[in-house]
Amino acid sequence: MNEEPSPSDIFRKRLREAREMRDYKQEQLADLAKMPATTIAHFEAGTRKPSFDSLRKLAIALEITTDYLLGRVDDPELAEAGDPLFRDVAKLSGSDREIAKDFLKMLAKRSSKKDKAS
Amino acid sequence: MSRPFRLMIARRSAEALLKDEGITTLPVDPFALAASRDITIEGKPETHDGVSGMLLRHGNSFGIIYATHIASEGFQRFSVSHELGHYFLEGHIDQLLQTGVHVSHAGFVTADPYELEADHFAAGLLMPETPFRKELENHEPGLATVDALAARCITSRTATAIRYAELSRAAIAVVVSTGGVIDYCFMSDAMKTLPKLLWLRKGTRLPAGTATARLADAPDQVRAGAAVAEEADVRDWLGGTTKAAVSEESVGLGGYGKILTVLSSDVIGREEEDEAEADEDDLIERWTLRFR
Repeated sequence: MNEEPSPSDIFRKRLREAREMRDYKQEQLADLAKMPATTIAHFEAGTRKPSFDSLRKLAIALEITTDYLLGRVDDPELAEAGDPLFRDVAKLSGSDREIAKDFLKMLAKRSSKKDKAS
Repeated sequence: MSRPFRLMIARRSAEALLKDEGITTLPVDPFALAASRDITIEGKPETHDGVSGMLLRHGNSFGIIYATHIASEGFQRFSVSHELGHYFLEGHIDQLLQTGVHVSHAGFVTADPYELEADHFAAGLLMPETPFRKELENHEPGLATVDALAARCITSRTATAIRYAELSRAAIAVVVSTGGVIDYCFMSDAMKTLPKLLWLRKGTRLPAGTATARLADAPDQVRAGAAVAEEADVRDWLGGTTKAAVSEESVGLGGYGKILTVLSSDVIGREEEDEAEADEDDLIERWTLRFR
């Protein structure tokens, strides 16, 4: 059976690639992301799955986007190029959908402001 | 990993997070915790029901939308904490991203393991074991304790009652019913010591003749938040072979027609404990060196 890899399968590979691209050892990245080095080792080995919180901390420490770590874009620098939550808003019904759309637009603005500021 | 173990891990994850953040007192503020992670929070319009919460991501920015159509501050804080559970718990990225936008109906009403984990995270976050236990030991067992704890933690009566049953050393059973039919029942460890206990199952009717069943027959009173209390035999509720008096206290939870019942006893489960303590005292007595 040909199952699509899960986001955490993609994450473990992308995390290693991004860390090596920045030329960090696991310990250095751990220091920057304020988490134990063993956690990074577990994430890369796939023996532990990340939370969104870890995902975000690592993306910030590596100065890349969570989209890259999740395999949504192939360019580590490219932000907001295909947000899965936004794409699947179609599954929501009625005004929840409108509310989610407006909210995501606001989050997108926040993201781009932060990118410009940094 | 078994489901009860996963749920315990979820509660402990929340408690560990609080420890990391240096939060040791009640009430815990989930909004402040979200702000510390730069998570934007927004309430939905009061006129709109739909889902109780949504966790959304755009690039590296995260946000939570929560429902405000239920005016209870406890419900709203629980909904936000539930979404924080999805944000902080390991492995939830697979579940949430594969199913697309994430929507929740917080409140222990689902069979979805990820939703249940988020509920248990929320319970651990808003009602962490150490301060919660300390607070409950200041009160006599019963519904008044649930109300005092709910006020202290700013949580809903039902969520508080469930946590109370889990952490109380007294014999407690918490039953939530709708229209005379049981939604769920949680028992404390002391209550579970009763031999040949009957487990109250979802979908079964309230025991006939109890004060709660009579209250359920008066939906207007339930909606008005009426309360009843009387002494009952624990066998009327939970079967078993032990005759023991329990305090039965029930209160209508308002518009949804639900009743919260708290059965409590200071005596059940204590006999074994007393015997164990007596054995221990005896052992200490026999082995203590004496300087005469």
